[in-house]
Amino acid sequence: MLAFRQMVEPLQLRNMAWALTTILECVLFVQLARRKFLNKYPWFSVYVASTIMQSAVVATVYRVYGVSDTWVWKIAWGSQAIVVFLRFQAVVELTKKILAGYLGIWALARGLLFAVGILVMANSLLFSKGDWYWISQNVDRGLELSIGAIIAALLLFARYYRLPIQRLHSALMIGLCLYSVFFVLNYTLLVKFVQELANFWRFLDVLTYLATLLIWLNAVSRYPEPATQAPPPAIPKELYGKLSSELNLRLHHLNQQLNQLLRSEDQHR
Amino acid sequence: MSASLLFFIFSALVVLSLLLWASRPPKHRFTPGLDVFEALSQSRHCFRLAQVLQALRPEDTQYLQQIGQAALMQALRQQRRRIAQTYLDCLQEEFETLLEISRALAVMSPEVVGMEEMERWKLSLAFAANCAYVRWRLRLGLQPFSGFTLLSSMATDITRQLDAATSRIAEAAVRTTEGSRLGRGNIDGL
Repeated sequence: MLAFRQMVEPLQLRNMAWALTTILECVLFVQLARRKFLNKYPWFSVYVASTIMQSAVVATVYRVYGVSDTWVWKIAWGSQAIVVFLRFQAVVELTKKILAGYLGIWALARGLLFAVGILVMANSLLFSKGDWYWISQNVDRGLELSIGAIIAALLLFARYYRLPIQRLHSALMIGLCLYSVFFVLNYTLLVKFVQELANFWRFLDVLTYLATLLIWLNAVSRYPEPATQAPPPAIPKELYGKLSSELNLRLHHLNQQLNQLLRSEDQHR
Repeated sequence: MSASLLFFIFSALVVLSLLLWASRPPKHRFTPGLDVFEALSQSRHCFRLAQVLQALRPEDTQYLQQIGQAALMQALRQQRRRIAQTYLDCLQEEFETLLEISRALAVMSPEVVGMEEMERWKLSLAFAANCAYVRWRLRLGLQPFSGFTLLSSMATDITRQLDAATSRIAEAAVRTTEGSRLGRGNIDGL
């Protein structure tokens, strides 16, 4: 009877969603293991495992110490820092899988993606105005925004160079990016309307995470295991250097020609 | 609304839009089997700039108005504008082909030059914007221009430069690949 009462009490919408996400996290982890992806995506697998651990730890701490204890707050945010770090590692892992086969492109993308991440993070901290409270708030949001921006930049980069992306990788990346972006949106709105919308925000946060989990679960269950890609045919870098600059020259000329058409019209209108 | 709030909301929406943009179905890739040199040596539409400019000259059709055929003159000018638009399409197609070749080269190269890739990206943006602008103006109706002689000579200059550039590409490629049959094989199989 006591157990029944304890089960009925947390049957609120948010808690149900929370329980559902934990179940889905477990199913996702089992699917990763079943399809032998644990070795192939070690950081992503560790990240999923860490989210399960986090749910268990935070739920236990809430039950033992109550919600308002300072230690609970510290443990919750400490575990969140670990989870975000692991998510970042999962993004790095997937980025390597997508780009590392193309040596030149990978070297270029590494610098570019790093710059994007740093730039977004720096801009996020710029709004803290040296206030420690806001710095701690903005670091969290800034990290999530950086992760989202890096993924979007990577996908744009791959699209520009027409690089093939396996459907599994694409779905995992989209899931990671969507969660990060919605986290930033939810969190930013929480800061503004903290009093009125706190419960609603927490529910939305769980809901967006739930959607992300479903995307991953669908990808891990349905999409075929990415085939080992043969490295692209290589050309000597000297040849690239010469052809590349000549191609740029020709593109310049074509653009110039178009400009002349424009200028001629301007002159004679 | 604070600046911080606006920044985060705006940035998140921008990232979301970019993600949607990047997730669209991929465009066509450079056709395998098409030789780079063959693609580079294909006839270039810019050679026909002089003829296109000539066709757009008002003097070419002005006499029709003088002999009382104003309607015919308008029809002819409209037709020539359509031809100019087709020329623009071809120019854009040529530009896209060159871009595709350069992308394929970058993918195959063990080392790429960031500045050149950036330059190419900026060029592609500028070209797309210019192309859209010229097309829009052509649709509205090109106005007559008198500096045709100057333009024509400029076009000839560009054609000459392009010829020289293509010859240099071929020479460079032959020099570099003479000692490396592998490289040449890969280029052919692009």
